Amino acid sequence: MIAAIPEALGIMFQPMNFIMMILCGVIGCILGAIPGLSGGLGITLILPMTFALDTNLSFSMLVAMYVGGVSGSFIAAVLIGIPGSAASIGTCYDGYPMTKNGKAAKALSIGIMGSFIGNFVSCVVAVLCSGAIADVALMLGPWEYFALCLMAITMVVGLSNGSVFKGLLSAFLGLFLSCIGGDLVTNQLRFTFGNTNLYGGINVVVLLMGIFALQQVATAYAKGQQEMPPVDAKSLSGFGLTLKDFTDNMKTIVVSLLIGLFIGFLPGMGSGISNLIAYGQAKRMDKHPEKFGTGYDPGIWATEVSNNAGVGGAMIPMISLGIPGDATTVLLLSAMTIKGLQPGPMFIQTNPTLAAYIYVIMMISSIAIVFIELFTKRWFPLLLKAPYHYLFSAILVICFMGAFSSTTSMFNVYLVLVLGMLGILLDVFGMPSTPLMLAFILGGKIESYFRMGCSYARGDLTSFVTRPISLIFILIAVWSVIGPMIMKLIKSRKAGKNA
Amino acid sequence: MKKLNRTYIMGIVFLVLAVFIVIETGNIPERLVSNEPGPKFFPYISAAGIALFAILSMVFDGPKEVKTGNKPYLDKAGWIRMAIILAEALVFCIMMQFLGFWIASMVGTFVFTWTLKGEKKINVIFAVVFSILLGTICYFGFTRGFLIPLPSGSLWDMLGIEML
Repeated sequence: MIAAIPEALGIMFQPMNFIMMILCGVIGCILGAIPGLSGGLGITLILPMTFALDTNLSFSMLVAMYVGGVSGSFIAAVLIGIPGSAASIGTCYDGYPMTKNGKAAKALSIGIMGSFIGNFVSCVVAVLCSGAIADVALMLGPWEYFALCLMAITMVVGLSNGSVFKGLLSAFLGLFLSCIGGDLVTNQLRFTFGNTNLYGGINVVVLLMGIFALQQVATAYAKGQQEMPPVDAKSLSGFGLTLKDFTDNMKTIVVSLLIGLFIGFLPGMGSGISNLIAYGQAKRMDKHPEKFGTGYDPGIWATEVSNNAGVGGAMIPMISLGIPGDATTVLLLSAMTIKGLQPGPMFIQTNPTLAAYIYVIMMISSIAIVFIELFTKRWFPLLLKAPYHYLFSAILVICFMGAFSSTTSMFNVYLVLVLGMLGILLDVFGMPSTPLMLAFILGGKIESYFRMGCSYARGDLTSFVTRPISLIFILIAVWSVIGPMIMKLIKSRKAGKNA
Repeated sequence: MKKLNRTYIMGIVFLVLAVFIVIETGNIPERLVSNEPGPKFFPYISAAGIALFAILSMVFDGPKEVKTGNKPYLDKAGWIRMAIILAEALVFCIMMQFLGFWIASMVGTFVFTWTLKGEKKINVIFAVVFSILLGTICYFGFTRGFLIPLPSGSLWDMLGIEML
């Protein structure tokens, strides 16, 4: 495949391919930035257009839209504290406080560069090692995937600044919400109460709009916090970051990149999960974990590098195995099938130029997007200069529209309202909403992998702890819950003795 | 008046939810595939987890809240504001269903803008123009540009009036 890269570059620089790549990258970025919409929506919209187009032009548009969508999702998270998509939930935790501290320009620069590093480096890794990494994915069974999902949830519970118990309670509530609808193994309906709208379960966009967007607008209004954060106009021009910003955060960047790449290449896992795990890990390994949530640089680096690294990671199983890495790659896989291509182990051998072309588009579109974002960065904070009442009234309307368009069902519009009230209730009780969100996203997978593991092992539950990789993940999961408690206990005993 | 401990209330709410999940899970018909725990297993696990951590939170976090003295989440005026914005959102959803997205979005944007402005003075004409533009661009952009359907309004369907 590497030998085909010069040819792929030649195809990419053909005027039409190049122009459409840039255009779709920018549109993806805008869609990603609007809460409730996403690059995935953009791909859905242009997919029918690509039927009649040349294969290379089609993939220029689709892949650039994908890259732009994930890249742009940090903008709303940083500027208004509402994630553009699940990929940027973690970015809200430090991005928005940094904006509130008057450093919107720096938060945006970190988001732009984090997105670029994650995307570009993950593509390079994907080109070099897609075959070897795909072999690793094939070695993992349902036991390992179950243990990995469990570990992801418990690691995120560690994000809860307050009580671990409230974090776990929130996670189990998310697990329950994921049980609503037909179960994934026998398709038995659960908690639908005869409502056909619930047969497919709760839509993740609807949950996001309710728990984050509506809850935030309603509580801010109720608390009388109707002021937009200040904008530091002087720092809006230029690069906004120094070399020291990169070197100081190098460890966070590298670890987040690896987390994003690893989570991305696991089938069915995506940027929505990797950003939260990377945030939790960054907090765990930082010398000042107490600074997270206050507008701390590593918090933004971790989430933005990892969610974009998931893009390159998700491409590996798609191209090498024909297995979609996340929801958006399902659409790209459909596009390949429409074009008569067969993604899978033989794809790279039979279509080396197209395989190389997809990676080249990802890399070049990420370079193009970083330049466009850096040059237009100074205008992003204009959003913060818009009066609060106009901006948030528009956001409310767009959120309800996004909830409707995700499933074309009025039921989901009402559900946003119900879930918004649930979000308010969680806020009243001081329960974190992130463990709920992650447990909800992973709930279906954790259940089906557990049940598949049981079935394959003929009901033998010990299979989850007798397989080494699964055991390691389970031990990390257990430690991430009880570890902080034990450490706290040891510290308090030491302090007691010293006193 | 004695302040309510929010952690204890949370515990009770979630214990009730756990009981509800257990009862409802009992009504799920069992359809087992060989050697696997079936569709009831995870709902039971989630109910057990909710009950366990609700109790642990009440035991360990509840007393801490009593010691630190819990500040009210919102004052009375805050709760009224919360009720107003949620009621408006509900009315917006109902309008969206019966009058369609186009009309609902124009009216909704104006009402939300009016509410969220609080004590500030706004230019009413600008707010009206903004609401009309936002609703129209969203509606026609989606339905005509992207060919994504948005609710056209069941009332118009019942009356046999074809909306744009």
